[in-house]
Amino acid sequence: MMDEVYLDYQSAKPVDPRVLELMRPYFTKHYGNPSALHSIGDRATEVLEKSREKISRFINADPGEIIFTSGATESNNMALIGYALRNKRKGNHIIISEIEHISIRNIAKYLEREGFKVTRVPVNLYGRLDIKKLERRITPETILISVGYANNEIGTIQSVSKIGKLAEERGIAFHTDAVAAEGLIPIDVKRDHIHLMSLSSNDLYGPKGVGVLYMKKKYRVNPLIIGGGQERGLRSGSENMPGIVGMGYAAEITQKEMKKESEKLEKYRDRLIKELLEIPDSYLNGHPTKRLPNNAHVRFEGLEGEALLLSFKDKGIAVSTGSACTSKTLEPSHTLIATGLTHEEAHGSLQLTPGRFTQDEDIDRILDATPEIVQRLREMSPIYKPKEKMISK
Amino acid sequence: MKSTQYSEKTLDHFRNPRNVGVLEGNDVAVGRVGNPTCGDLMEVFIKVKNVDGVDIIEDAKFRTFGCGSAIATSSMTTEMVKGMSLDEALEITRDDVATELDGLPPIKMHCSNLAADALHEAIKNYQAAVEKEIELPEDVPSAPSCIIGREEFLDRGVYHSVIMDIDEFEDKRTLVLHTGDESIDMALELTSVTERVILLTPAEMIHTTEELAEELANSSVKVLTQSRLLEVRGEFEVERVLVKNLDEDEDYELHVDAVVIID
Repeated sequence: MMDEVYLDYQSAKPVDPRVLELMRPYFTKHYGNPSALHSIGDRATEVLEKSREKISRFINADPGEIIFTSGATESNNMALIGYALRNKRKGNHIIISEIEHISIRNIAKYLEREGFKVTRVPVNLYGRLDIKKLERRITPETILISVGYANNEIGTIQSVSKIGKLAEERGIAFHTDAVAAEGLIPIDVKRDHIHLMSLSSNDLYGPKGVGVLYMKKKYRVNPLIIGGGQERGLRSGSENMPGIVGMGYAAEITQKEMKKESEKLEKYRDRLIKELLEIPDSYLNGHPTKRLPNNAHVRFEGLEGEALLLSFKDKGIAVSTGSACTSKTLEPSHTLIATGLTHEEAHGSLQLTPGRFTQDEDIDRILDATPEIVQRLREMSPIYKPKEKMISK
Repeated sequence: MKSTQYSEKTLDHFRNPRNVGVLEGNDVAVGRVGNPTCGDLMEVFIKVKNVDGVDIIEDAKFRTFGCGSAIATSSMTTEMVKGMSLDEALEITRDDVATELDGLPPIKMHCSNLAADALHEAIKNYQAAVEKEIELPEDVPSAPSCIIGREEFLDRGVYHSVIMDIDEFEDKRTLVLHTGDESIDMALELTSVTERVILLTPAEMIHTTEELAEELANSSVKVLTQSRLLEVRGEFEVERVLVKNLDEDEDYELHVDAVVIID
């Protein structure tokens, strides 16, 4: 059996071996609880605060603005539900984009059931949010705007600092889910006017089960997990020390290596896009330039993504798709639909996200395999009609 | 069960589908079910021969746009029916197809439903054709005047005239109604400023001059046939349109920024 080719870093990443090495003693030797007053506890506190500093440096924040959570989903819950509950006297209106990650989408639905009003702003053909469309939807009741830093599917990067500035001018809090973007492009919460931000550890090649909510000074949320008052009472529960140490170190490594790594990924991305678009009737999804360095997202007319995914699986290649058949709801990707694609077009999409451990051979292998797979599936498809067949002279 | 956890037999039929293709002739009928909007569309072809007074399925083929189980169930169904009488074939249920494949994940059961339905559809079509030749009604030509929202969004994303500042359409997803060669010209011209131009026609094919046909075929214009614009929607300006797929008799929303209707 040949080695598996993994081009789905967007969905999960391995832990960097350097991070794992550093974490190891925190399971057995350094088991202290930062809340304890003895010296073993003191040492744990030191380590906890060091990790906090590393993460704050990574996003140009102050250490006091970092709250450790169990992952980005919890951070999103805290940012949206926690902020909405805390500030409901100021207003009951929240704005998100039409292409938010499912975690934000479902939290927004929950808030609607709880009596808040949610508006979803459309995006353009590349998945970019139009500031003017956003501005028109702001009302005196608006308390929070939440727009992802970059899209987790098509990789489009938003004009985050413009959105943040607009929110600030109107006295509205701005939250961004930065999970898709973190570690790939520089994030600076001051430059970008971000007030609340969700980060995950795994997306920095740290362990799963730990994340961060960045919360700018003077902004407040209601805690959702109540207990022993850890994290300044905002997130109770004994600290996940191995995880926090891992995430801190993962952020430190990523900060040092990001520039070089992203250059490498950009080369892979550009080669994937260029060669996949040579296949007839294939198109790029997302923005041609304002896209994450690791994201190649292409659609092929006339075929279905799950069949595509299974065909790659048979060749030992792991990829992702916008197809409905791979989702729990059997709905096609809401992001692709919001960019203006028809359902058929959305079904035929292929998402490739190389990462830290991708090699040239992996890119060779998928590019070798794709034309044949696409052709085979099109040959048995009743809806694949080259355009010439739709036009008569 | 995960959506991709298929039985070995299902995977085999996905990897090596039997009977892919189409059949033609007077003794052939086709059943077409599903909907590409939902991600699956199947066509089952049967070739029928009368042996000693019984109609027997001599050959069967299929074409499928769909996920792994849609392909596998189509393949299995065509295998199962060969040599069966029409009455026997009508009794094949979705569970039979799934059972033959050693089971399907629950979320995928509708795929096997479709394959059996396509088969039944083909048989019914065959029986109907034997009784009398059925002529399908022609598509009614487009009637752009009855589009809801057309007046409301005039100059807020809906455009009527041919002469306009093309740069206004930069990066705008533009839907052009096919109302003649002028509209094809317009669609082609728009591709110089935006990557997403959709040409919509209720007909099965676009008829035009040789020159325009070639240009259109080589352009980035997305052609949607058998589709009718029903409604223009948006909060402040055009943001979405409601389109009817005449073939599937189903309405769906498409996100666009501009609609061009040249009467």
